[in-house]
Amino acid sequence: MELLVVNILNFVFATATLALVVLGLAIIFGMLGVMNMAHGEFVMLGAYGALVVQNAGLHFLFAIPFVLLLCIIVGWFIEWSIIRHLYRRPFDTLLATWGLAILLRKGIEAIFGRDYKSIDQTLPGTVQLMGVDYPAYRLVLIGLIALFFLSIFLWYRKSNTGARIKAMVTNPALASAVGIDTRHLARLTFIFGVCTAGLAGVALAPMVRIDPFMGLDYLLSSFFVLVVGGLGSLEGLLTGASVIAGTDVTVSALISKTGGYIAVLTLSILFLWLRPNGLFSSR
Amino acid sequence: MGTDLLEVWELRGGYGDITVIEGFSASLRVGEVVFITGRNGTGKSTLVKLIAGQLTPSGGQLRFNGQDLLLVPQHKRLSLGIGYAPQEAVVFDGLSVEENLTLHYDNRELSRYDALFDAFPRLPERLKQNAGTLSGGEKKILSFCRAMAEDTKLVILDEPTEGVQPENIAHMAHAIDHARSLGRSLIVVEQNLSLVEQTADRAFLLDNGRCIYTADANQNLRSDIAQRLKL
Repeated sequence: MELLVVNILNFVFATATLALVVLGLAIIFGMLGVMNMAHGEFVMLGAYGALVVQNAGLHFLFAIPFVLLLCIIVGWFIEWSIIRHLYRRPFDTLLATWGLAILLRKGIEAIFGRDYKSIDQTLPGTVQLMGVDYPAYRLVLIGLIALFFLSIFLWYRKSNTGARIKAMVTNPALASAVGIDTRHLARLTFIFGVCTAGLAGVALAPMVRIDPFMGLDYLLSSFFVLVVGGLGSLEGLLTGASVIAGTDVTVSALISKTGGYIAVLTLSILFLWLRPNGLFSSR
Repeated sequence: MGTDLLEVWELRGGYGDITVIEGFSASLRVGEVVFITGRNGTGKSTLVKLIAGQLTPSGGQLRFNGQDLLLVPQHKRLSLGIGYAPQEAVVFDGLSVEENLTLHYDNRELSRYDALFDAFPRLPERLKQNAGTLSGGEKKILSFCRAMAEDTKLVILDEPTEGVQPENIAHMAHAIDHARSLGRSLIVVEQNLSLVEQTADRAFLLDNGRCIYTADANQNLRSDIAQRLKL
């Protein structure tokens, strides 16, 4: 029974963190059509941002405004200098962001070195839940991610800015005709996507090894989620995250970590083959 | 009627290397309703896309209220005083009717649509409905209302009556007349000659991207244009 509860909590935790990691890519790729191969590096930037805050002797929570500021500056500069010239050219964005990913990795490597870094656990200890002791930080993170997604969902559904983003995505020419500055909105959307990736990096930092190549795994799992869930909807993102995380957690628990990875890969290939638009594609 | 609101001089443009409009010149006075008509494929929609900013002209000049329009990006033309309802993809399919009517404002206030809602009562009944599920004619009415409700000096309507039933076309004609009485100017691309006859102050007949004939209201517009369309 205890094992089942732990596995369920692990599944919920893996789904929540994976969904948070994917959100930025879902926004940038799903809404702007930018095949952002540097997504994992934005997650990495967030983790290194948390490291910088720790090295400065500040509390972990200071990492949130610091990384947000960093991501706004980096996101704005990348959109302004590279991405805005490549909208509606997905293959070109793939190449450009792949080069950008290498640049970011090498930049971080030059500053921090190649070796692994780690962040002190900011909320140590466990909480007893349904008869099992579960890490407090993980539980808090699940709650915060759920709250964050709920806020995003309501804001996107109810606000005029959400409606404008949908308008820009579905019919940019008409959006411009009704007075929406689609270039500005696309820039803000891109920056928002970068910020969510950075925040995911901060959230994961106390639980993972931080190194310049950590982004690659997140990029792959993010694409797997979008392949399964489909582009353009929050429902798809959450379903994709739960399917990928569920498969990984279950197979990893029953067989091995490698088995879990192979299962996720096989599932993604099957989806690409049999259901290329995913489960909830709006396209 | 008096001063020129819009001046178009030797306007040229099209799609990439393909030039559709070849040196179109005209002016539009304050409070004037001008129709652009002609056969299919003669460049009517391209012309208004060039004026509305959806396409970038390859030559010529465009001045609105004395200001060089070529320096103004499309999304700023609405605040400058130019409303535009395109011919195709006229609504945001994924949004509700209400969102379609209000997304460009700071709030969801619909009072600016009161008069138009009286004329087109089906629209307020469907505010919560997804606009993508409306019929073609209803989408045109939504697009027409969105452009007409703006407090702009100039409204550009591209084929507003396409798929719209006759009684609603009569309401559109009435709304156009009302806008003119308020001193607003309109450019309407239209093949429905009865609407042209009812509301036009002038009409341009386009062929191969050029204006081949201009008729004004004191002529027998309908028969005049119909006769030339047959030539």
